[in-house]
Amino acid sequence: MTYDGSAIQVLEGLDAVRKRPGMYIGSTGERGLHHLVYEVVDNSVDEALAGHCTHIDVTILQDGGVRVVDNGRGIPVDIVPSEGKPAVEVVLTVLHAGGKFGGGGYAVSGGLHGVGVSVVNALSKNVDVEVRREGFIHTQSYKYGVPVAPLKKGGKTDVTGTTVTFWADGDIFETTVYDFETLSRRFQEMAFLNRGLTLSLTDERISAGPIIDEETGEPKIDGPRSVTYMYEGGITDFVRHLNARKTPIHNDVVEFFLEDEKRGLSLEVAMQWNASYTESVYSFANTINTIEGGTHEEGFRTALTSLVNKFAREWSILKEKDTNLSGEDVREGLTAIISIKLHEPQFEGQTKTKLGNTEAKAFVQKVVNEELAAWFEKNPAQGKDIARKSLQAATARLAARKARDLARNRKGLLGSSSLPGKLKDCSSNEPSECEVFIVEGDSAGGSAGQGRDPRTQAILPIRGKILNVEKTRIDRVLANTEVQAIISAFGTGIQDEFDINKLRYHKLVLMADADVDGQHIRTLLLTFLFRYMRPLVDGGFVYVAQPPLYKVKWSRETPGYAYSDKQRDQIVEAGLAAGKKLRTEDIQRYKGLGEMNAEELWETTMDPATRVLLQVSVDDAAQADQLFSTLMGEDVESRRNFIQRNAHDVRFLDI
Amino acid sequence: MTEINDATHDQIEIVDLNVEMQRSYLNYAMSVIVSRALPDVRDGLKPVHRRVIYAMYDGGYRPDRAFNKSARVVGEVMGQYHPHGDSAIYDTLVRLTQAWSLRYPLAQGQGNFGSPGNDSAAASRYTEVRMAQLAMEMVRDIDQDTVDFTPNYDGKNLEPTFCQVASRTFW
Repeated sequence: MTYDGSAIQVLEGLDAVRKRPGMYIGSTGERGLHHLVYEVVDNSVDEALAGHCTHIDVTILQDGGVRVVDNGRGIPVDIVPSEGKPAVEVVLTVLHAGGKFGGGGYAVSGGLHGVGVSVVNALSKNVDVEVRREGFIHTQSYKYGVPVAPLKKGGKTDVTGTTVTFWADGDIFETTVYDFETLSRRFQEMAFLNRGLTLSLTDERISAGPIIDEETGEPKIDGPRSVTYMYEGGITDFVRHLNARKTPIHNDVVEFFLEDEKRGLSLEVAMQWNASYTESVYSFANTINTIEGGTHEEGFRTALTSLVNKFAREWSILKEKDTNLSGEDVREGLTAIISIKLHEPQFEGQTKTKLGNTEAKAFVQKVVNEELAAWFEKNPAQGKDIARKSLQAATARLAARKARDLARNRKGLLGSSSLPGKLKDCSSNEPSECEVFIVEGDSAGGSAGQGRDPRTQAILPIRGKILNVEKTRIDRVLANTEVQAIISAFGTGIQDEFDINKLRYHKLVLMADADVDGQHIRTLLLTFLFRYMRPLVDGGFVYVAQPPLYKVKWSRETPGYAYSDKQRDQIVEAGLAAGKKLRTEDIQRYKGLGEMNAEELWETTMDPATRVLLQVSVDDAAQADQLFSTLMGEDVESRRNFIQRNAHDVRFLDI
Repeated sequence: MTEINDATHDQIEIVDLNVEMQRSYLNYAMSVIVSRALPDVRDGLKPVHRRVIYAMYDGGYRPDRAFNKSARVVGEVMGQYHPHGDSAIYDTLVRLTQAWSLRYPLAQGQGNFGSPGNDSAAASRYTEVRMAQLAMEMVRDIDQDTVDFTPNYDGKNLEPTFCQVASRTFW
């Protein structure tokens, strides 16, 4: 084949989307699939932001389609001069078309690039759109992104709105089964962020028989169900929701809202401190979760730190000789939602979730300064509780620093210069190719140490169960030897000294035994990483190894390894059919990694050529924050409820 | 979603933190609730107790015979029925002998089994045990198909799902 001009393809329009779906929606897995729903709903939310829409109803249809109905203005149906087609058709078939690039359609919008709904169209086998506008119902259908017929003007109507129904293309997506929980969580968040907007989700999927869960073979509870979210209190309700499982240290949620119409900026903040030791500040720009923060968060932090310090000095909670409270002290136990709306948001960062507008910082700082100062003025008693909480945090921080310095001086434990004694380090110094396996106990550490590739793989054995950091104050956490070993092995330091550039391994693999205690240790480690080294989790550095559950020992044949009960049965069945011999006791259930020979462990779990690793990602940080408090925190009641609610989802019991 | 990393040929699957936490925690919590922390209403025993008693009966550590080293019993329980740490098993065994822990002890001990204060028992290599007469009542006629049996953890053996109740005084 010659490589000349004819070999160069220009992918036009929606074809490009079908060829490279990942570029537009991230993946073709479950996340990408749900992304389609968000794209369509985001458009309706933009109508709500503009003040024209109060209801959005989402329905998962029986046949796997999704219908989104809103009562907004309806997508325009008049002819777009440059294209010669109705606007709605342009919006659905042309990338980067939309009313959000300036020009009066929308003042504020979450849709970034206008790729939205046309991408959904491109990746669906069918799309039906119905626009109720200017007194008539207009309908049009698409197949694989191509209109079946021109836009049809139908009967009369006196309401307005848009209905989009789409069926995702099963040839592109690995799965077309929507998860009710995932969608409802997202819509709840949207309802919080859009005060007064009613969002409903209905699941109409009723299968002929019960849906069988692939992993367990158990029938899943399924059927029509429906949730509706509407919050009059908006983000104030969001803060209450986040704090529901924690103990607030003052009664009222601080809330304020300010709009600067001239500059097209508006800011809404709700915040409340609780007795926990962690910071839960979530920021949004035009209702998009800015996971990486940005200028609005910077403004908020600067104002908050100086205000609390000033207040604490005024009321002599901080004495003259005391040093100032640091930002981290002030934010310990703070739950806050910062929601900014602006005309032209600029998003930066790797995942485009960091706000870059410089004017946002000054605006937020000024508003928070004024409004929060006024609140402190009016509520001195609650203000004092907050200041005292910050002071406690500062005391603990100083104690922790002392303990840390002591440890450093004595044994050099926390300095990056020395490594923990039990770490079996790798020889390579290039972090991007290095991995560290955190294993349970010295028994497993031995197998892993002998089986590893010593050039790139390091092993860190952890003794027993590490402490639950959710219930422990930082100075005690840092005094724990296992925690110290983890920190110094990673090389990043912790909290204010945390520096991701010093990370010594780019894959941090949690390799716990394949029994329930191993899973418990995994939850404890994830809690530690999430609470104390959050950037590692956000950055996708944390992985979970998948050791096999069973070894099927054929007589005189190479053994098979199974990672689930179902797979074990398949292997046994296939093997017996192929004439291999097996006694029942020759199926070994692994109780620990130490049971495996070094070569077995390498082959099944550690060898990059054959292993499967799970990369931990944070899809919803606010949700994760709450889950950690429920599962690992002090509140027994909510944990019991959670277990009762979800007991039927348990995949395996270890008896 | 599965991605193949070109450099290392790794198979990487993405898992949401919430999903992983929820799954791992529930598996652990439910296992602890169902098969570790709560005594069975039928015999008042937790699985580890039942395994100790049955292993002693099965291994012949009976009240009419001589005492045997505790470590032997622990080994038998661990190897046959209870694939967990030896200290948990020995602690259970020690408690079964203590008249201040159980109103009617289910095992007889020989040697230092601690005191009601803070003294702990001697290590399992020093102490000796055998079943108490009362414990024999819990396994009487157990080989006559009186209770259901279930395969043990590695499927090489059977263990009782509960013991008969001759006395309700265990707790």
